[in-house]
Amino acid sequence: MTSTGAGDSTDHAEILDRGYRRFDGRRSGVAGAMRSVAWHTTRSVLGLGRKARHKVFPVVVVVIAFLPAVIFIGLTLILGNDLFDGELVPEFWELPRNSIAATVLFVGLVAPEALVRDRRDGMLSLYLSTPLTRLTYLLSKIASVTGVLSIIVVAPTIMYLLGLTFASAGPDGFRDWMLALVRILVSGIAVSVLYALISLACSSVTDRRAFASVSVIMIMFGLLTIVDILIGSADGSEYLRLLDPINIPLEMSARIFGADGVYPEIATAPVYLANLGWFVVAASALWLRYRKAGA
Amino acid sequence: MTGTVAAPQAISVTYRVILRQLVTTGRVVGLGLIGVAVAVVGWAVGQSIESSASVRLENAVGVISLVAFTIVVPVVSLVFAAASLGDTREDGTLVYLWLRPMRRWTVVVGAWLAAVTVSLPLTVIPTVLTAMLLDVGSDLIVATIIASALGVLAYSALFVLLGLLVKNAIVWGLGYVIIWEGVVAAFGSSAAKVAIRGYTSSILTARTGVQLELGDLSQTVGIVVPALIAVGALVLAAVRLDRLEVA
Amino acid sequence: MVSVTNVTKAFGDVVAVSDVSFTVGPGITALLGPNGAGKSTLFRMLCGLASPTRGTVRVLGRDARTDTDVRGMIGLAPQQDALFDRLDARQFVEIAATTHGVPDPSAAAARVLDIVELDPTDPKSVGAYSKGMRQRVKLAAALVNDPTVLILDEPLTGLDPVQRRRMIELFNRLGDGGKCVLVSSHVLDEVARLGSRVLVIAQGRLAAAGDYHALRDQMDDRPHRIRVVTDEPRRLAAALLQREVIDGVHVADGTVELNTSDVDGFGRQIAPVARELGVRLRGVRPIDDDLESVFRYLVERR
Repeated sequence: MTSTGAGDSTDHAEILDRGYRRFDGRRSGVAGAMRSVAWHTTRSVLGLGRKARHKVFPVVVVVIAFLPAVIFIGLTLILGNDLFDGELVPEFWELPRNSIAATVLFVGLVAPEALVRDRRDGMLSLYLSTPLTRLTYLLSKIASVTGVLSIIVVAPTIMYLLGLTFASAGPDGFRDWMLALVRILVSGIAVSVLYALISLACSSVTDRRAFASVSVIMIMFGLLTIVDILIGSADGSEYLRLLDPINIPLEMSARIFGADGVYPEIATAPVYLANLGWFVVAASALWLRYRKAGA
Repeated sequence: MTGTVAAPQAISVTYRVILRQLVTTGRVVGLGLIGVAVAVVGWAVGQSIESSASVRLENAVGVISLVAFTIVVPVVSLVFAAASLGDTREDGTLVYLWLRPMRRWTVVVGAWLAAVTVSLPLTVIPTVLTAMLLDVGSDLIVATIIASALGVLAYSALFVLLGLLVKNAIVWGLGYVIIWEGVVAAFGSSAAKVAIRGYTSSILTARTGVQLELGDLSQTVGIVVPALIAVGALVLAAVRLDRLEVA
Repeated sequence: MVSVTNVTKAFGDVVAVSDVSFTVGPGITALLGPNGAGKSTLFRMLCGLASPTRGTVRVLGRDARTDTDVRGMIGLAPQQDALFDRLDARQFVEIAATTHGVPDPSAAAARVLDIVELDPTDPKSVGAYSKGMRQRVKLAAALVNDPTVLILDEPLTGLDPVQRRRMIELFNRLGDGGKCVLVSSHVLDEVARLGSRVLVIAQGRLAAAGDYHALRDQMDDRPHRIRVVTDEPRRLAAALLQREVIDGVHVADGTVELNTSDVDGFGRQIAPVARELGVRLRGVRPIDDDLESVFRYLVERR
């Protein structure tokens, strides 16, 4: 009950100072805002802080991603590397190929979750009313999806490197070892960035998460299938492979390691150029969509 | 009072409402584009200069099997069937079909027919066009028509049920299509018996004589089992709809 | 016409409705309760949309969850705003009529749209309608089968005051016509105008049932709250406390808020006591003699 003021309270009116203060502390600014968007997105796609059933799929994918590394380290430890002359176990650039179906299905869920919900719920406008701009918002999302993808693309390979080293089957000498590590990091992050951008661009076309997933899966697997058929059954040029958004980043990864890769018919320069092309196309598509979307 | 609505009337009114909600420009254009892409691939393969007729046929059947029955038919069916009752359940309009003097199976059948009505032209036209552009004779075209239509009927029934069972039916359905039908079923023919693709492939094999992975069942089995799957899924969907807690 | 017997509904660990029993006959009954009290859950169980964890729910003696025919005698305007957005109002209500097996759905739709004061020829899709218009479309759809039991979940939300008054008049007409009209609301002012029969639900339990005025009278054993404005609040309060006519007191700045369970005793004594002490009374006013306080008392026990 009101108890301020004297006299009959029915004809008494007063506006009270409710003590709003300006925030005088240090502000974390754009960097802080980006960090928190990226962190929040990461939590939501991995199902952290949510019910167990949201964690099932991420956990399954992480297990699938680490499984090959574990198996091949185990084989090396048990059988020794010399026995098979290194033929049995894959190269570093080959390892992520073993779980590629799970990886693509994972980006098909992660990218829509990261992007679509904000538009559908009107959160985008809220974010844009903070120090974030469209560009910094998108950069945070890209960083988040790339980071999550690195867990299943880069981390298992690093574990593999450490495991092989432990089994005395790793690269010889400190210099080679460091070179391998740098190559793993550079190639893995490049693959993660490309997959992140492509899947985010695909998800940006619709406001419904389910259709965004369909669009990511259809574009990535669909192009792969079409390229396979055109090369395999329609006498298409090997260079059509450059249109395959799943294999071309992986192929670049092989070239970073100096290997011939899976498609040795294609020269190295076009592989790099095609990846640059995918990067530009996906980034532009995403940017074009967001230049006007939302707020 | 009016009493229970007669089945044909109940099916037709459900069909009209769901059809109206399902056909959105975005879905039709998006899935239509997939169809166009598939037809272009068919054309490109059809143009290839392969001398031996048997190799041409083998190539063509392989292409149809891959693009039509691992991608177009399941995905198009999934998008519409999962949305048919699933969307009404999500957005809270299901109550307008549920709290009515209509039997549950009539609602399920109406929704399924609506999904099939949109999915059939979006699958059969591009896949048959692809088969024609592949240019290897009428066997493949006939097989494609039968298998596509049957595939749509069976997948649609299955995904109507899925839409009533889980929230993100499209995502689960994609997982099923890619992981189960695509990967697990590829391990062997016993696994193929629990994948609809096993039956559509069998129809292709039986009609064209080209051996396909998963395609080792007889044509009769290939036709009868998907029909049974469709009926079974619709019955389960009706039971599920009856037991559902509606918002 | 509607009977609810020992009904409990639990979602996992959360008990939404707990051991509720009541019967409702013809006429308007208002279901009153704060948000989250379990009103919608109760309505959903009445219509068979959800099954009770324990207990039984009967509409016209039958269970709407299993009995197909009885569903044709219920009209429900659900709480959620969702409609088949791509239809226009006429089509939407026509669909409702057809799904109810109403003969000549088109004429039936035009008739009820007229009742809720919507234009049957409006070509706009209901997806483009305002909240108030959508509410009325839902209402029309609920009325189209001429139901015996009408269940309206928050039907007045989003209506402007004029529409609200008209709809309340409509509900009253339907109730007077012998239909069982159940209306839920969390807005007290609406319920006070709806009619006299009230079911109050709070935290999933039935807190009160019956005629609103009778309820009010029955609650005389609860403390009443009275505000007294005076120049010497503390002395007056002390004297009243000493004479045991009040149970509690809150003093602030010339105003005394009193709790008493003996309103009559208080009424007899306040003036003499003030005169005796030489205290001037500027105002004596009960602060809780309305539905809101009844509600607060029932819901919050204070």
